[in-house]
Amino acid sequence: MAPARFAQAVTRRSIVQVLLAVPALALFRQHAAPAPQERPDELVEVNGWILKRSELA
Amino acid sequence: MIFENFASFRSSGFTPTVVVIGSGPAGVTISRKLAAAGIPVAILEAGGAEYSDESQDFYRGKTVGDPYFDLDVTRLRYFGGCSNHWAGWCRLMDAVDFEPKARVPDTGWPIRRSDLEPYLDEVHGILDLVPFRDDVPISEDIRWVQLIKSPAVRFAEKYRSEIEQGANIALVLDSYATELQGDGSKVTGAAVWSAGKAQGTLAADYYVPCTGGLENSRLLLWSNERSNGGVVPHAEALGRYWMEHPQFEGGNAIMKNPDQFEMDAVSEAFFSPSAEAMERTGIMNFGVRFIQMPYSGAKRLLAELACVAPESAEWASESVGSRLRCAAQLYVSWEQAPRRENRIVLSSTERDSLGIPRLELHWRKNEIEHRTLLEGLRLFGKTLAEKDYGRVRIADWILNGDPYPADQELAGNHHMGGTRMGDDVKKSVVDRDQKVHGMANLYVGGSSVFTTSGQCNPTTTIVALSARLGDHLARRIGQSAMAR
Repeated sequence: MAPARFAQAVTRRSIVQVLLAVPALALFRQHAAPAPQERPDELVEVNGWILKRSELA
Repeated sequence: MIFENFASFRSSGFTPTVVVIGSGPAGVTISRKLAAAGIPVAILEAGGAEYSDESQDFYRGKTVGDPYFDLDVTRLRYFGGCSNHWAGWCRLMDAVDFEPKARVPDTGWPIRRSDLEPYLDEVHGILDLVPFRDDVPISEDIRWVQLIKSPAVRFAEKYRSEIEQGANIALVLDSYATELQGDGSKVTGAAVWSAGKAQGTLAADYYVPCTGGLENSRLLLWSNERSNGGVVPHAEALGRYWMEHPQFEGGNAIMKNPDQFEMDAVSEAFFSPSAEAMERTGIMNFGVRFIQMPYSGAKRLLAELACVAPESAEWASESVGSRLRCAAQLYVSWEQAPRRENRIVLSSTERDSLGIPRLELHWRKNEIEHRTLLEGLRLFGKTLAEKDYGRVRIADWILNGDPYPADQELAGNHHMGGTRMGDDVKKSVVDRDQKVHGMANLYVGGSSVFTTSGQCNPTTTIVALSARLGDHLARRIGQSAMAR
C-alpha cells in the first residue's frame, strides 16, 4: 500500500488508540505476571496508579 | 436604617440593645434575627458600602510558617464582608466532624450537628439553596457527597433593602470598633473610630463581634490587652487552634463510565471518606473534587493517553490542534487537625494607621495533613478500582513526600478557629452558646468559633450557627425583659 493511501485508510481514532496502548504496555510490562497464588483482583500501586494485579500481566 | 457614618447614627437617637460588629454573613444573619424579634440592633461596619484600598489596608498582616495568601486579600472589609467574594459552595459540616476523636487531640464540639439541623430550612432561604440530598456510600470507605454551588448570595445586595427599611436594625458604615472595654465580667462599651476621628464609646446590653476568622481574634486580643484581661478573662486559647482547609491537586483519574456519577453543571463530583475509614486509617476528613474534562471521541482518548504517557499525548494533541489534560483531575481539600501552636498574635512591630497592632498568623501543616492527603487518595483510588468505576493516579510529589507545591491554590480562604467553642476554658474561648467564658454579655459569631474545621466550605455552617445564636440571644433578651 502506498504511503498516501495508508494515511487515508487509517483513521485518527485508530492512531490514537495505538498511541494509548503502546505506552501503557510499556508501563505495565516491567512488572512480573501474577504468580498462581496471587489474587488477580488484589490492588497494587504502580507508579502512583492504583490497579488490579491482573492489569500488570 | 443605613447610616453613612457614626455621627449620623448618633444624631438619629437609635439606642441598640445589641451591638454587632461586622456585616458579613454572620453579622447580618444574627442582626436580622434580632430585629425580627423586635430587638434593636446596631451593626458597626468598619468599611463602607463598597470596596476601597484604604479600608483593605487595615487587614494587612504577616504570616509565619507555611506559604499563605496575603492577609489583606484573603478577606474583605466592607458591607457584606467575605460574602462579596465567596464562590457560593455550600454544605453543612458532617455529623462526624462534631464528634471527639480519640486519635486526634482537642477535637469534639460541645454541640452536635443535630443542634444545627433545625436551622437548615432557614439557612436554605438565606443562601438561596435547593435542598441537600443525602450522602451516597459507594463503598465502605467512600461517600459520594453533595456540595451545592449556590448563586453565592452577596449579603449586601440581598439584604440592603430590608436593612434600609428596618425599624429595629441600623447598619452604621465607616465605623471601626477599635476595641471593646470590659471589667472581667461584662463588656461596658465599644470604642468607635469613624470619619477620621475617635467617636467615643457605644454602649449596649450585648456585644457580638462577627469580624471574621482572623479579625475576631485580633479585636479580642487587643481589647484584652488594653483592659488587662477584662474582655476575655480566660484567654489561654484566645487566637489559638487556627485552621484552614489545605487544598492541592492530588492526581488524575480515568473513569470507565463517565456517567457513573452525576456531575454538576461544570462536570464536577465530590467524594469524602466514611467515619469508619477515617478511624481505621487515622486520618482527618477530606473532600476529593473530581473534575471530568469535557472531552469526547478522539479528544477523550487523547486526554486518557495524557494520564499514562504525557509526552506522546502532547505530540498527538498537537496533531489535532488541541492542548488536552488527563481525563479527570483530582483536587483534594482536607480538614486540618486543631493545634494550639497554629495561632494569631498581635504584631510587636507593625501597626495600622490608628496604632492598633496588625495581626501575625502562625500557621503550619504537619504530618497528619500529609497523611490525610495520601491515604485519602488511596482510599478513593481503591474504591474506584475495586468497584471497577475507574483508576486513580496519585501525584508524584505526594508519594515522594516532597514539599507542597507553591504554585497551586494552597488553601480555601477559610479562616477558622481562634475563639473556638468548648467546655474547657483552657482550650476554648466561647461556650456552647457562643458566649465568651466568664463574660455575661459578650458573644462571638462566625467561623472563629469552629472547634474543628471539617472538610467542607464553612459558610453554610457559619450561617446555621448564626441563626442559632440569633435565636438564643433573642430568647435570652426576651427572658431578661420579662424578669424586669
